[in-house]
Amino acid sequence: MSELRSQTLTLLAKDLRLEWRAKARLVAVGVFGLLSLVVFSIAVGPDSKALTAGAAGFLVIALLLSSTLALAESFRIEHERRALEGILLLPVRPGAVFYSKAIANTLSLAMLAPGLSLFGVVLYGVELQPANVVSFFTIWGLAAAGLSAPGTLYAAMTAQLRSRDVLLPLLLFPLVVPVLMASCKALALALTGDPMGQMRSWALLLLCFDLIYWSLGGILFPFVIEEG
Amino acid sequence: MKVANHPSETPPTAFRARDLSRRYGQKWALAHLDLTAVPGEVVLVAGPNGSGKTTFLRLLAGLLRPTAGELELFGKNLASDPFGWRRNVSLLSHASYLYEPLTALETVRLWARLLGRSTAEPDLRARLREVGLEQDGDNLVSGFSAGMQKRLTFARVRLEDSALVLLDEPFAALDTAGQELVTDWIAADRKAGKTVVIASHNLERAAPIADRAVLLARGQMTWQGAARDLPNVLARAS
Repeated sequence: MSELRSQTLTLLAKDLRLEWRAKARLVAVGVFGLLSLVVFSIAVGPDSKALTAGAAGFLVIALLLSSTLALAESFRIEHERRALEGILLLPVRPGAVFYSKAIANTLSLAMLAPGLSLFGVVLYGVELQPANVVSFFTIWGLAAAGLSAPGTLYAAMTAQLRSRDVLLPLLLFPLVVPVLMASCKALALALTGDPMGQMRSWALLLLCFDLIYWSLGGILFPFVIEEG
Repeated sequence: MKVANHPSETPPTAFRARDLSRRYGQKWALAHLDLTAVPGEVVLVAGPNGSGKTTFLRLLAGLLRPTAGELELFGKNLASDPFGWRRNVSLLSHASYLYEPLTALETVRLWARLLGRSTAEPDLRARLREVGLEQDGDNLVSGFSAGMQKRLTFARVRLEDSALVLLDEPFAALDTAGQELVTDWIAADRKAGKTVVIASHNLERAAPIADRAVLLARGQMTWQGAARDLPNVLARAS
């Protein structure tokens, strides 16, 4: 277990360094998310009530769309010089490769939260109460984790395919429906108020999905990357 | 050096391939290969493009599973412990296995951490000095020439210190000094009791340092014998 942890941390440091050196890509993903929010507001029109009511859903969809870009890119560099194969030739547990990449992807998506939420607040006219700020960002983090684990698995699976850009969302979207539903509900309660105290239940449900995805991802990843 | 324990009743073979075969789709890249090597032996695998050299090395490295046949490394079957297998093998491949946005020093530090070796900067710089990249430790790999990338990849092989060293075209992209360095490393590895398998078209370089040679053609072994005889065999064949 300690070997898995130390290898995960070593590879995470590498992944974060690679992410940092590709800042332009992260900015592009963020801008894509912002543009998605603008498109949703144009589609709904000037109906401020509808915009406010749908704000949580729009934010989650913007996160989902941005995630497909970020996740697909995260494995591109691993295959450029077959660097991933080089890592796997070392006595490295495949699970460490998965968890480091999934954590790095979660952090990248979590970093979109301040920009997208601020933009959403302005664009959709929602008021994020100070008391709910921590809950909002916690739920965002859980949503990012829920997208990252299956997304990392599928990104690894499709990274070497020509049609990877089409296949990744096709595979990912149906699988993360529970995450989208739970995060939409929880974020909506964080934005519009939670008089019945339901947010905690939705957040717990989201956490359960995260735990399932992260556990399964670690188990399935070795089979995904094996050449056979 | 990473060396597995030998069961006392078995002879000290480094690897043993029995009826080893590998198919990609409908095409057999390697068929019915029987080959054994002992510790301290340098084996040269020669043959034209598409003859199965790289496939054989990738099978030995545990990156591919045999379609048929058996492969043993220090008495252990590949299927029994694929993770442990890689602890005993180093592979220098056609691909550089490098992350271009990292510096050479960061790259060596990553390998050292994953291998449990010292990550002290003087030690890492010594590794770079060994491969002639002491001046380039802080430069990004993306700015390296093919030869420099090859040298950096050799730093990984040297760092791994494995009992079985697999070198796929080790002299390609290297200058004369680099090729001589590699020749010296192979000689040192043999002296240290390591088994080295070289797949190369550069027979002028590879044949004199190998003990035994194997000739492959269309996935089949067509000849094996003393490496010094290989140039004559090839001359007769052509």
